[in-house]
Amino acid sequence: MQLIAKLGILADAAKYDASCASSGAPKRSSKGSDGLGATNGMGICHSYTPDGRCVSLLKVLLTNFCLYDCQYCVNRRSSNVPRARFTPEEVVRLTLDFYRRNCISGLFLSSGIIRSADYTMEQLVRVARLLREEHDFRGYIHLKTIPDADPLLIEEAGRLADRLSVNIELPSDASLKRLAPEKQVATIRQAMGTIHRGQQAVAGEARAPRFTPAGQSTQMIVGADTSDDRTILRNAESLYQGYGLKRVYYSAFSPIPDSPDSVPLAAPPLLREHRLYQADFLMRGYGYKAGELLSEASNLALDIDPKLAWALSNREVFPVDINRAEPALLARIPGIGLRSVQRLVALRRERRVRYDDLIQLRCVLDKARPFIVTSDYRPALAETRSGLLRARLRDPVAPVQMGLWG
Amino acid sequence: MIALDCDDDFATWRDQARVLLGHGIDPAQVNWGQGPIQDLLAVADGLPDGPGPFRAKVPAELLAQLQLAARYRGEQRWNLLYEVLWRVAHGDRTAMLAGDRLGSELQRRIKQVTREAHHLHAFVRFVPLPTAVAEQLQLDLVAFHEPAHDILETASGHFAERLGRQRWLIATSRDGIRYDGKDFDYRRQCPPEWRQWAEQADDPDADLWLTYYRHTFNPARVNPDALRMHMPGRFWRHLPEGPLIPRLVGLARQGKQRDGQAQEVAEQGGKRISVVTR
Ligand code: SF4
Repeated sequence: MQLIAKLGILADAAKYDASCASSGAPKRSSKGSDGLGATNGMGICHSYTPDGRCVSLLKVLLTNFCLYDCQYCVNRRSSNVPRARFTPEEVVRLTLDFYRRNCISGLFLSSGIIRSADYTMEQLVRVARLLREEHDFRGYIHLKTIPDADPLLIEEAGRLADRLSVNIELPSDASLKRLAPEKQVATIRQAMGTIHRGQQAVAGEARAPRFTPAGQSTQMIVGADTSDDRTILRNAESLYQGYGLKRVYYSAFSPIPDSPDSVPLAAPPLLREHRLYQADFLMRGYGYKAGELLSEASNLALDIDPKLAWALSNREVFPVDINRAEPALLARIPGIGLRSVQRLVALRRERRVRYDDLIQLRCVLDKARPFIVTSDYRPALAETRSGLLRARLRDPVAPVQMGLWG
Repeated sequence: MIALDCDDDFATWRDQARVLLGHGIDPAQVNWGQGPIQDLLAVADGLPDGPGPFRAKVPAELLAQLQLAARYRGEQRWNLLYEVLWRVAHGDRTAMLAGDRLGSELQRRIKQVTREAHHLHAFVRFVPLPTAVAEQLQLDLVAFHEPAHDILETASGHFAERLGRQRWLIATSRDGIRYDGKDFDYRRQCPPEWRQWAEQADDPDADLWLTYYRHTFNPARVNPDALRMHMPGRFWRHLPEGPLIPRLVGLARQGKQRDGQAQEVAEQGGKRISVVTR
């Protein structure tokens, strides 16, 4: 089979993995040397597909032959799809070619399970080793980790790659048993633990060889089973805490061709996925706990964002005085993001903050207004009931998919 | 009214601004022309002589910010910078901050310029030259790009980090830059032959990337607004995948796509895998 035909099949087979991030790698440069590639911590989106998703890496499977029969997956053994397999050298060639053209910043390589978990993992590691050692490739490498593979192989992968990921796949053990009968939560978590320990072993040792410097991530499929958002976010929170994960990706389940009866045929729940990303961002960046975001309901509201939802059910905290409140509390005001918080703090060192300053800072005042006090403004709406406010502040239309794919 | 021209060059502007500040000249009294002088009847004065008596102190951080904002192409490009400088030199530091009307415009320009550098890093597309041509021109990769602001010179160092000893050039409709594996050659006027090499390079392997782009797209999630928000239409023209976008959106919208698979894959024969049960 021609390389281009394989590329079509194996890119098509890999697209369901949401991650395409190339950020968080240490500073590396090829300036004045024979190799190729650089990283500086910032990811680059070299293109966007018509679904609005960032293209940062060459995201392919080494092969879509697979012995497993995960019901939600287009590559499961019972699926009637065309199959292909790259040689490691072919993946290397494509990576280097696309990289020189500035189409990508690196490689995200995954694979169906062939022969055995160890054999499959060895093949993935081999591609990374060829790139790093034969071609002095200093771009970004993300390898998918096969959970049942030998920990020694996982450790080797961790020394070559910027990021490793083990997919948790589904939010609950019961769903995993039902939809991915060959996979086990225990081994998935063990692999995450192996990676986490590898990271801890080099943490704080400046001269130790690098180990997954861009961290570990995972993916959870949303909407293939009946798990609610509380289960999803609690699970995510425990992964962040237990294994120091950098990111949990949520992937709205896309119906697959030749779909088995065990998974839905409906269009992917994109708005729900979007709300989960917002909630996840609030947990990582703003210090919210999963329990705070879902204290009453078991699913996130679809009509308002989770930050506004939290503010509406915690009215006793508001209104917040922009000139006095701690930065962490400013960050909890709907319509005011982290960057605006920094700018407000800088500005109030110089003088009192007025209502107009918030306009200059491009805060979303429609949302912020009922929750703030400035030197020249108090909300007349402070007494308005949350239900009314909610009706007023509801998102008019489904929001576009936001840029949370970093 | 003092009329000045700095040839869109920051160092020239800075020298001029220092003299003006030294003489305590109010921003309302100065105008930096852009293009031909607008008001032919106005009698324009030049720069006053000598450094002037007023010794202004400004934070180093401000100079760095002005230098960045100076790369912004647009109305009042140089006048605005002087107004900021003048206010800060007279003790009003809010002129630098996003909370102020002027400061917010300054910060907006800095943000636009920084974004445009990022756009360069993201959307430049090099075409590899065939070996024979590469030897003849001493060039491995060529690209044509159209930045909206003057960022080519400062932002191109990025590609030397990425591409090691490869030799490359980026041509634009104004300036151009070339790297020979060791040194940069920046030209404010792009030599016409550079532009020609970049725009007319043959690319027999272009299909690989187009194939990847088609297949990594998930038609069940089609969302052209999100695409346009992140990658404005003005970039599509120079991206090889640009012309594919409307077609892929159209196909997905026709409802032929009920799932994530690309049509080309669906049309091929499939293969189920049988395993010997353990
Ligand atoms: S192991 Fe499961 S999820 Fe992975 S490729 Fe095979 S069937 Fe798909």
